[in-house]
Amino acid sequence: RRRRRDGERDKKRRENGRRKASKDVGEGEEKYQTKREKRERGKTKRSKNDREAKRRETYKEEPVKVKSNKTREIGKNAKNENTRKWEARMGEPEESYTKEKKKRKSAKKEMEEDGGHSIAKEETHQVNKIKKKKKKETSEVDNEDNEEEDDKEKELRPEDLSPEELEKLKEAVDERKKLIQSLRGKPWPMKKKLVALRESQEFVEKYEGALGKGKGRKLYAYKVMMTKKWMKFQRDLENFKTACIPWEMKIKEIESHFGSSVASYFIFLRWMYGINMILFGLTFGLVMVPEALMGRPYGSIPRKTVPRAEEASAMDFAVLWDCGGYAQYSVLFYGYYNNQRAIGWLKFRMPLSYFLVGVGTVAYSYMVVIRTMARNANESGVGDDNSFNFSWKTFTSWDYLIGNPETADNKFASITTSFKEAILEEQESRKDDNIHLTRFLRVLANFLVLCCLAGSGYLIYFVVRRSQKFALDGLENHTWWERNEVNMVMSLLGMFCPMLFDVISTLENYHPRVALQWQLGRIFALFLGNLYTFIIALMDEINLKREEEMIVKFNITMWETSLYNGTEPENSTAPPISIHPADVPRGPCWETMVGQEFVRLIISDTMTTYITLLIGDFIRAVLVRFLNYCWCWDLEAGFPSYSEFDVSGNVLGLIFNQGMIWMGAFYAPCLPALNVLRLHVSMYLQCWSVMCCNVPQERVFKASGSNNFYMAMLLVILFLSTLPAIYTIVTIPPSFDCGPFSGKKRMFDVIHETLESDFPAWFGKVFSYASNPGLVLPFILLMVLAIYYLQSTSKSYKEANVELKKKLQAQNEENKKKNKRAALQAQMVLEEARKVASQTAGQPNNSTVLQEYESEAFYF
Amino acid sequence: MVSPAIALAFLPLLLTLIIRYRYYFVLFYRAVLVRIWRDCVTGLSREERAYQYVLVHATPGDPDSILEAFDVWCSKVEYISNIGPKKGKILDRLLMEQSPLTVLELGAHCGYSTVRIARALPLGARLYSVEMDQRNAAIAEKIIRLAGFDDDTVELIVNPSDEVIPRLRADYGLERLDFVFMDHWKKSYCPDLQLLEGSGLLGKGSMIVADNVLFPGAPKFLRHIRKSGLYEWKVHRATLEYSKGIRDGMAELVYQGIK
Repeated sequence: RRRRRDGERDKKRRENGRRKASKDVGEGEEKYQTKREKRERGKTKRSKNDREAKRRETYKEEPVKVKSNKTREIGKNAKNENTRKWEARMGEPEESYTKEKKKRKSAKKEMEEDGGHSIAKEETHQVNKIKKKKKKETSEVDNEDNEEEDDKEKELRPEDLSPEELEKLKEAVDERKKLIQSLRGKPWPMKKKLVALRESQEFVEKYEGALGKGKGRKLYAYKVMMTKKWMKFQRDLENFKTACIPWEMKIKEIESHFGSSVASYFIFLRWMYGINMILFGLTFGLVMVPEALMGRPYGSIPRKTVPRAEEASAMDFAVLWDCGGYAQYSVLFYGYYNNQRAIGWLKFRMPLSYFLVGVGTVAYSYMVVIRTMARNANESGVGDDNSFNFSWKTFTSWDYLIGNPETADNKFASITTSFKEAILEEQESRKDDNIHLTRFLRVLANFLVLCCLAGSGYLIYFVVRRSQKFALDGLENHTWWERNEVNMVMSLLGMFCPMLFDVISTLENYHPRVALQWQLGRIFALFLGNLYTFIIALMDEINLKREEEMIVKFNITMWETSLYNGTEPENSTAPPISIHPADVPRGPCWETMVGQEFVRLIISDTMTTYITLLIGDFIRAVLVRFLNYCWCWDLEAGFPSYSEFDVSGNVLGLIFNQGMIWMGAFYAPCLPALNVLRLHVSMYLQCWSVMCCNVPQERVFKASGSNNFYMAMLLVILFLSTLPAIYTIVTIPPSFDCGPFSGKKRMFDVIHETLESDFPAWFGKVFSYASNPGLVLPFILLMVLAIYYLQSTSKSYKEANVELKKKLQAQNEENKKKNKRAALQAQMVLEEARKVASQTAGQPNNSTVLQEYESEAFYF
Repeated sequence: MVSPAIALAFLPLLLTLIIRYRYYFVLFYRAVLVRIWRDCVTGLSREERAYQYVLVHATPGDPDSILEAFDVWCSKVEYISNIGPKKGKILDRLLMEQSPLTVLELGAHCGYSTVRIARALPLGARLYSVEMDQRNAAIAEKIIRLAGFDDDTVELIVNPSDEVIPRLRADYGLERLDFVFMDHWKKSYCPDLQLLEGSGLLGKGSMIVADNVLFPGAPKFLRHIRKSGLYEWKVHRATLEYSKGIRDGMAELVYQGIK
């Protein structure tokens, strides 16, 4: 073994010699090496020093003897280097210096080559080197050093290692492992990283198994193997988990083509899908399935039967599509459910479950939205966009998720333009003359948008009024257009007004991210206005239905009495006459009507979305693509072009769709299921259409901050959509002959009922005490106080953050000043060196001396 | 019958289209409607009217003033698709950098670009200008002479470009073209470029500049240069001449030859 090592060393020496020879030839060039190379050399020198320092640390815990040895060696080393430097600085003959350089080079080379071997070996090499140096420079050979070298040579055999050396080897292995872990963060070139990684891995592979002896060794090897297996398993698990995230690959692909703003929409869509799955699970599992399985079957009672008048057309597609006929008298709608307290052999409390699921879906949605918002807020951190505008732009404007060359081009162009614009803006703000025009344009744009909003609101109001008139006349007398006017107008306005807003917003000249938010806000206002107009119209209809219900109720009592009056005289003992449930007169059931309206709205909305997608994107893309062969101008680059993906419109469509679901889910349990279906289809359809018919946005921008904006909007919509639902639940009494709450005064009476009959008496008492205003009010007060306290603390934290930031800035400036001073000093040293060099002019080596000086200066 | 409310709901769409494509509507009005009207009223062709205006408003012998008069006429009075001042500056710069000795211009129209190129040429350079239309060529001739360029500097060839290019070497004794400027029919960009490649007049470093590659656009031409690999090329993005909102580009090709 030793012989081999010696041989290796010899070889290396020979190699060095060869290198020396070759160096001597190219010496002239060597003198004028570039500064960069020097810097590199400086780096290696520094790294060597670092390593030595580290070693010093690691050896601290070792026996004194070794330590003393080491320190002596290090001291010698340091001295050696110092002397070398001084010698060089004193202008020694060129030869010795070049030797030095070569030696250092070879040392570096050795280090790189031997990276895979033990540190101990490196040490021996270093010692060798030192020895060589000493031989050449001072010819002072130390016997001790020789001995030490021999010691080191012995250590290298893993078979007969002393525990001490074993420990050392282990440490080296650990160090390598640490290096592998932290390699990613090292500021090295990729090539070096790869080399270092491979070498370290080889080293670890080689020596990890060799550690330990006998039984311990086996155990150790086993342990190592197990950790490896475990790591691999973990990695596989991680991969599997990523593969399990639905549509992850699709979204990543889109992200790489269109940038993160488009991808953020799809991520949002996926998140929405997840929430809807849970809502669907709740309503499906706790309401629809129990009713279908355990409730009374179809046709057993009037509310579960299609009335005689509608029976003929109950299975027609047109009727079913309109949610009438058999669809209306099924578990899909509120009216089908019976008010029986407990159903089936499980004694399932159907009305209670219905009520709690209705409340629970809303509560769950609130919880999820707020939790997500809080998490996003944490992630976004405290960033102020104003203070380091240009630095932010320089260092953070690239979107690393882009993988498509065209998008990258676009991004590149957009960064350049944003720089130009920012510079212009800066100049403008300095000049401060055009601000009035901008302000005027912004005000004008907002005015136009307001006009547009008012116009659309009025149009919807007008249409709704007209439709009420039609409804009074009887719908059969009117055309399809007139009957579907409300939905049509709402969909069309929802489709076209955002386009108009988009055009208007170009007036304002905002940054695209800000513009997107404005656009979102405007569309939000538009949709909200439309939705609330719709709800107000619905409320009117509910009132109409309730008046109708009063009349029907009266009629039914009349009908019943007439029925009994007509039959009683004949035989009073006979069982009551059985009337087929389809013939029983019944009330209008406003709840089902509301549910139907919402389902219709959702369906027409979905249809509009898909049709616009097909016409606006697909057909347009096809036309542009294939008409381009025979058109007189370039259709692709010029006038119609391909469409861009409209992030804001799509996000808002999604949010409002969700709002409608929340609003209507109480009256139509099928709504979450419908929505899940819709989201699923639109995920695939939109992924396809965005990849096949859309082009990347011209101004690609990052959407890192917009997620919380979406969430905030969702929260607002959630609140606004629960308001009318809660209002109807709390204030309007349920219909008398349909739904799970029929016969009660208010829908929430079901809770009272349950408390009274299903719980022990004391529980009811406790509950009544707890709901006492005397207890509730202080509790609310406490909550308000707690919120206030938390808010004020968070505010103070924020202030502290700002303070800290200021401090950091001050520190930075201080550092900069220091650096400047140091640089000045270095320059002075350099000047001095130049003077010296000019004094010793004529000597051929002045340039190398200068180089050395410069590298010295670099250390400062 | 469709109810009026539904028809009203289409109003935002209409407004959007009008606002978004206003530049195209303006262009249509200026380039087509005004032209037809003026043709009927004056009985002169558009180029003749432009020539009259230039004759009245420009200083003879001064190319700058002629170009300026053209610009004023095209932006204020009527519309002719010359290269325009903005893209013209890019062209000037390219000519200055290249300082070519033999220049071929395809599509002189009424001489604006010819004057522009001739103005930027170094001493002893020669410009061959190709124009297909007889009447336009006559006006271009007048404009060129008005600007003070003689036969030695500018040679006007009245013939379609696809007939001229193959005979350039034989009839005009050309060995190599340093600079080619294309501004004729957008459809003939691609075949003419192929003709030029085939004629062997392009040497390494010859520059070809093509105007209006985005609007009205020459997609085949762009596809060809993308595919052929014979050129180092880029598109200078600008707006259409005398119009603010329509994006257009000027392709700059440097012939590299077959590697």
